[in-house]
Amino acid sequence: MTRTFRQWVIQGAMLAAALIAAGQPRAAGAHEFWLSPSSYRQSKGDTLEIAAFVGTGFRGEGSPYTATRTRSFELLGAKKLDLTPATLNGELVFARFIGADAGGALVAYESGFTQLTLPAPDFDRYLDLEGLTLPRAARARLGARAGDGRERYARCAKTWIGGTDRTRALRAAGLTLEVVPLDAPSAGRPLRVRVLFRRKPLAGALVRAWCAPLGRGWAPRDEAVRDSAGPRVEARSDREGVATIPISGMGEWLIGVVHMVPCRERDAADWESYWASLTFAPEPLR
Amino acid sequence: MRSILARLGARIARGAPALAVAAFALTAAAPPRALAHDQPYSFIDLRLDEHKLQGKAVAHVVDVAHELGLTTPDSLLRQGNLDRCGARVEALLSNRFAIRADGVGLRPRWKGIEPLPGRRSIVARFDVPWERIPGKLHVACALFRYDPQHVTYLNVYEAGRLRYQGLLDATRSNVEYFSGGGQGRLALIGRFVGEGIHHIFTGPDHMLFIVGLLLLGGRVTRLLKIVTAFTVAHSITLALATLGVLNPSPGIVEPAIALTIAFIGVENILASRNGRDVRALIAFGFGLIHGLGFAGVLRELGLPAGARAWALFSFNGGVEAAQSVIVLSVAPLLALLKSSSDAWSRRVVAMGSWCVILAGAVWFLRRLLPAS
Repeated sequence: MTRTFRQWVIQGAMLAAALIAAGQPRAAGAHEFWLSPSSYRQSKGDTLEIAAFVGTGFRGEGSPYTATRTRSFELLGAKKLDLTPATLNGELVFARFIGADAGGALVAYESGFTQLTLPAPDFDRYLDLEGLTLPRAARARLGARAGDGRERYARCAKTWIGGTDRTRALRAAGLTLEVVPLDAPSAGRPLRVRVLFRRKPLAGALVRAWCAPLGRGWAPRDEAVRDSAGPRVEARSDREGVATIPISGMGEWLIGVVHMVPCRERDAADWESYWASLTFAPEPLR
Repeated sequence: MRSILARLGARIARGAPALAVAAFALTAAAPPRALAHDQPYSFIDLRLDEHKLQGKAVAHVVDVAHELGLTTPDSLLRQGNLDRCGARVEALLSNRFAIRADGVGLRPRWKGIEPLPGRRSIVARFDVPWERIPGKLHVACALFRYDPQHVTYLNVYEAGRLRYQGLLDATRSNVEYFSGGGQGRLALIGRFVGEGIHHIFTGPDHMLFIVGLLLLGGRVTRLLKIVTAFTVAHSITLALATLGVLNPSPGIVEPAIALTIAFIGVENILASRNGRDVRALIAFGFGLIHGLGFAGVLRELGLPAGARAWALFSFNGGVEAAQSVIVLSVAPLLALLKSSSDAWSRRVVAMGSWCVILAGAVWFLRRLLPAS
């Protein structure tokens, strides 16, 4: 195969770009955050543990529980239960609880804000990669005056532990940004989800879904043997905030959405972003 | 980063398949995330009892190796290697982590360092004997400054009970802990009364508002009514906002406080012309807004867990004390002036009111408009 000099120049430039990108400082805010139960299925009397991970490509590192940064941490099963009294600052296991029944449960966590400042080019690249078109356009309009990216971010994560009452998966937990399934997740069937921001449907949000193989039984695969993978699905929510995710198979699924708005406290930051996630393991299609 | 690279690779793939392979190879060659220590954190546990402080510090081997100049962090997971550099690890921790008990620096006695392979961390244990639990512990900690994202989880147990959970990071490297006994309570009251006084005397806006309320003078009972109305009102909103019932943005509260100052100046001028004195009512209404400002300060100070009510009352007590000093200094002077020269008294009221209006207006604009 012969190549022209121009092709070599173009491809060389691209490789250089890739190498430069590889050396860029990480944008801490650009990591997904998800809850990981010790099992995605619950029977009455089972003891379950909830941990949290931060990473990319549905592969991450355990994130310790931070008491001072937690806004809410709740179990929504047969009853609503505040899990914060059972937590310990710095623990990798956020909470342990015993299944009160076999119905299944949603666990919902919301953090307070963490500040982050990125140089303007990094921040703009991060906005591009996360599909945050409105803040990106707002910064583009300001040009050089936009300055460094002063952001504060909060995490809104849910996990669905399956059980006999599949309607429990469909409940909104009241997080600031939330992915709410409109159907119980089943492998091989499209899953419609509604994205809610401050309890209202959010249109135009980029919804991404990742899938990883499960470990033994309904347990997530150990982080040490997980592979990082790109999103399997990307979709934008419609005017009703609804996006459809084809759940192509069994496994552990992560659905993530990021939303960024101008910060209401301009002294603290210019932008505030919310990182929502929903993890679950779908039922086999009946 | 890996997903960023993957997507970058995908983009390159559209134009140059050979390069896509290179980009993906680069991605694959990146260290696995779990090994790369993406979540930089350490832990400090302090356990207080009547005879001693027992502590442990847990740090990731990547961070410790970086500070010791070691190229193989995982070598620290072997006890033999750890023993060889134990003194350096202790020196590192001693330099980056200090505890003061009631103002006196404590010297930890190191009790050994062990690896925690499951967490890719090491744990260093220490203790400090004492004769009784101090009232206040001050912990200063910046373990791994080379990494601005590093956080340290601090838990304090007293008599076996978890009493404090906190986070130290690049923005906050000091923590005060008030112990549960009488000594701790006294230390806490002293600290927060002092903060209340400090806030009033270093915050000219509240001082000017109080002076503005007093400018028109009046009988002692009237002044008492005005000051009481202000005190009651700001105590209500201070408590509600501190306890999280109200949570208005400082972006609204601070300009609103400035407006109340300008308004009291205007009201003084109008009242001196028409003789209508509604200062008590105004003091109550605007006191509600000032209370929200006090709450913002108190939140920034950080309320000690388990003693929030004590902190709140103490801070409010400090505010009242400082306010009383202002009232007792200004009111007699104004009364003296009025009794010696009515004309001069009116001039002072007019000039003072215009100064209050001007200051309020300037603060309002400065707080409303971004600094840039």
